[in-house]
Amino acid sequence: MAEITGGFLVPHDPVMFVAPDAADAEKAKKVWDAYETCAERLAESSASSVIIVGNDHYMLFGTTCLPKYCIATGHVEGPLDQLPGLKKEQVQNHEALAQHIAAHGSETGFDWAVARSFTTDHAFSIPYKLIVRRAEEISGRSISAIPVYLASAVDPFITKARARQLGEQIRAAVESFNSDEQVFVIGSGGISHWVGTKETGKVNEQFDRQIIDLCCNANIDGLVAFTDEQVLESGGNGAMEIRNFICAMAAANAPRAELIEYQPVPEWVTGLGFIELKKG
Amino acid sequence: MSRDVLERILWSLSVDRFSKEKFREDSQKFLSRFPIDEESVRMILEFDVKAMQAVGINPMLTLGYWIEMSPDRRISSYNRKLGSESAHSASIKG
Repeated sequence: MAEITGGFLVPHDPVMFVAPDAADAEKAKKVWDAYETCAERLAESSASSVIIVGNDHYMLFGTTCLPKYCIATGHVEGPLDQLPGLKKEQVQNHEALAQHIAAHGSETGFDWAVARSFTTDHAFSIPYKLIVRRAEEISGRSISAIPVYLASAVDPFITKARARQLGEQIRAAVESFNSDEQVFVIGSGGISHWVGTKETGKVNEQFDRQIIDLCCNANIDGLVAFTDEQVLESGGNGAMEIRNFICAMAAANAPRAELIEYQPVPEWVTGLGFIELKKG
Repeated sequence: MSRDVLERILWSLSVDRFSKEKFREDSQKFLSRFPIDEESVRMILEFDVKAMQAVGINPMLTLGYWIEMSPDRRISSYNRKLGSESAHSASIKG
């Protein structure tokens, strides 16, 4: 059987690309280095594919159709929102595994929205470029990537409990995939940030540390227990992306996790946390 | 006031090139296609992002609409329109 053998929780902050020099140089280096650490650890693993759990930012999906959860099962390119240093490219999807996850879901009560040809946004493409593509460079081996998108930024939101169930379904699907390959999962998002609101630039380190502690203690119950009102008040509309963390953590089912780096960077409008989900 | 229709309009004007062109050609005519009230038309034409957010429009859309369509696309102006003195921006367009 295939198996999810590890993963990461990382941010997807486009301001890092748009205004790289806005942040304090020492803080900025720590953040870029944290991505490099993730890439090195992925390269050291035997994973041949990565599932990246992100969310749309009201670009890919409009009011005519807002999926609670979507998986790209075919051709993938991106990002739509190109940035300096993050240009659109073709993505090597693991189509067979993605299709298997969707089909497994249909049999087990998870009716995935399916994107048979998909364009990502930065939620997928930042960790894809800085971790997956970089791990390919380091290791010299090919690593495919499957986009999973949750409704974490545009209502109607997927509930946090459902995000957890979805992660569990992803894990069960991977384990029923007829292959001996190893898979990593990345939860892409957060932590505190306010997007497009008058509070933009505020970072709540106390809230961020609370989320990090829960993640590092594999306490999914604690994350799910937050109400949306609490998250919006303490972490901003961007922190609703902890759903992506929850889904990835449930998929990895890692008994422990390690904080790689945390930096509160108001100039980049985000509390930036990097956590490794460790199975061994 | 239909929040859903307003969000549809703003999303179109954020991501759809054809809609952007039609809006720039004749914004009143473009908006006349949609079942929205006078206050909604005003908010759109005056780029009143604060009022939009007050009626529940997703801030990612008000930001996207401002960046794509407002005459003054500066984020500092957007922040002032919201009543914020923040020097920071989550804009992906610089």
